[in-house]
Amino acid sequence: MRTLKQIKREARHLFRRCFVNGHLDEARVRRALNEMLAVKRRGYLTLASQFKRLVRLERFAHSADIYSAVPLSADLRAQVKTNLARLYGSDIRTSFSERPALIGGMRIRVGSDVYDGSAKAGLAALEKSFD
Amino acid sequence: MNAILILATGDSGGQIEQIASTFGVDWPQLISQIISFAIVCTLLYLFAYKPVLKMLAHRRDLIAQGLANSEKIREELARTETMRQDVLAQAHLEASQLIAEARDAARRLREQETQKAVTAAAQIIFQAREVAASDHTRMLAQLKREVGQLVVKTVAAITGRILTAEDQTRLNEATAKELAAR
Repeated sequence: MRTLKQIKREARHLFRRCFVNGHLDEARVRRALNEMLAVKRRGYLTLASQFKRLVRLERFAHSADIYSAVPLSADLRAQVKTNLARLYGSDIRTSFSERPALIGGMRIRVGSDVYDGSAKAGLAALEKSFD
Repeated sequence: MNAILILATGDSGGQIEQIASTFGVDWPQLISQIISFAIVCTLLYLFAYKPVLKMLAHRRDLIAQGLANSEKIREELARTETMRQDVLAQAHLEASQLIAEARDAARRLREQETQKAVTAAAQIIFQAREVAASDHTRMLAQLKREVGQLVVKTVAAITGRILTAEDQTRLNEATAKELAAR
């Protein structure tokens, strides 16, 4: 009977083996997951869940969401992409979307980092200063 | 009596004889009567007069003792009266002292209670002031927060309409520059 601690350790080991040149390799991830489901060792569902969680966190850390109140110009998008690649690596995935609730400006989230230059954030800061 | 005097003087035996015969004196009978009288007197002295005297002396002693006792009683009464007066005076003094002490204690107690009341009143006033100050601060903070929320809502409602495309571009570029400066 494997304990949860052992399963987590094994999931981390598997997860580390899915890296190629410091980047998570999707093919290895799929292969590891398929093997896991095929062998069906004791506690494989928990192991798969822990493995999936690590992959999700890694993807989350290497994906950037860019929200803006109005559509961004192509130049600005390219500039943002370049800067994000410089800061977080070339494998970072970017996704641009419009969010009128921001009123004005742009909000960038990469993993747990947030660059918020929106008017809504400014107003929120102003509102907080009144508390 | 005269006959006796005559006998005593002893002028002459003949005269005595004469008188005795005149009055019919029978010497043996007289002597026997004298002896019997003496015996009676002795018996009376021994069995009547002496006990009576003894009883009278006893009574005299009793009376003297009673008088002495009454004197003692009077003296005792006087002493008792003096003691009573002393006790009364002492009791009066002690009562006066007790009253004075009671008054003093009451005065001290009144002062203490007054002091306590003053302290309690000061504390209540202090707490009331603190509560009032706290309420004032809280109301000011609430007012500030509400005004801030109102301002933010108003600004948010207006900003969306007044921001031009250039403003939007400038804001976006500012964020991009912030990212580039990292």
